[in-house]
Amino acid sequence: MEELDIMEIWKGYESKLNETLQINRQNTLELTKMKIKSHLVSLKPTKIFTILAGIIWVVFLDIIAVVAFYAGNISLLISAVGLTIINKLAIGVYLYHLFLISKVGINSNVMEVQDKLARLKVSTLNITKILFLQFPLWTIFYWGWGMIQYGNPILWVIQLAITFASIYLSYWLYINIKTENQDKKWFKLIFVEKEWQAVLKSQTLLEQIEDYKNY
Amino acid sequence: MDSENQTDHFLESLEKHKGIIYKIANAYCKNDEDRKDLIQEIITQLWKSHSRYNNEYKFSTWVYRIALNVSISFYSQYKKRANIHHRLNLESIQLVHEESPRPDENLQQLQRFISELKELDKALILLYLDQKSHNEIAEILGISTSNVATKIARIKMKLKDRFSKIKKD
Repeated sequence: MEELDIMEIWKGYESKLNETLQINRQNTLELTKMKIKSHLVSLKPTKIFTILAGIIWVVFLDIIAVVAFYAGNISLLISAVGLTIINKLAIGVYLYHLFLISKVGINSNVMEVQDKLARLKVSTLNITKILFLQFPLWTIFYWGWGMIQYGNPILWVIQLAITFASIYLSYWLYINIKTENQDKKWFKLIFVEKEWQAVLKSQTLLEQIEDYKNY
Repeated sequence: MDSENQTDHFLESLEKHKGIIYKIANAYCKNDEDRKDLIQEIITQLWKSHSRYNNEYKFSTWVYRIALNVSISFYSQYKKRANIHHRLNLESIQLVHEESPRPDENLQQLQRFISELKELDKALILLYLDQKSHNEIAEILGISTSNVATKIARIKMKLKDRFSKIKKD
């Protein structure tokens, strides 16, 4: 089939549509009067809430760190400082998301808008990776001099095994949470299918964008 | 422009460009209910951006940009999105007949081919079939005109192959 024929098919479709499509003025007027949040902007309140909750949490952790410093509780200090750094990093990434959302002008060119939106979606993976790094810190905050001096050796063996296992696990997850592992069972356990599908679609779209840019 | 004039102007513009909105929504959403949602989402975004329309671009360029951006990003919110159509029971663009006229076989093949393309290729071929110039396509998509020409040539080749295979069968 020649190019002209294809164009004719499309023109035929267009003229049929012009005959059969009708604007419902009343419904459209209703729509213009309503304060409807689009699916794009609806991302914002969730992120703002997460940031506010995150700020309260890191302030609490900072207070714990100061108290632990003055009390000379080293393990609690290390845990609180580590947790506050990791959570501040995650808040930073969320703030970057909000910045990206504010920069998305839906009437900008398609590459620009889709690039921003897809990066936004894909970066949720990075937040999850960062947050997994806090695992080991939750296994040491309760250590104290009393536990070191008088602790049962068997309990210490179990304790150290848990701590080292959590260090290994969080490092392993940090390295292995990536698109290549999406079909693995452990991956499907961590990520809810529909959320992951959205990230994956955005990743595929980013590859398409790169393909268009690099041509 | 007062708000009544603004609404009238918007409705007029929508009337002129309803075909673009429907064709794009139809290419990105095959399911009827989802397509209705998508059309409402596109119209919502057009209305929200209407006051910020920059007349350095053609109005149709602006409509294409918004309709394509909404359609491409709509898929990623597939399950989570607010169902505007059902929530408000509104439908701004309707087919006059309950059932759309049955497309001929060639059109069905062409639509099937378009629906199988990747999101950006789909946008490109829709603009090409609507006979937009390479410059305008470049402006809507944000790529160079030479890139537009090469990508279109590739998609056309695939399309030709597809139709010639059907003919042979």
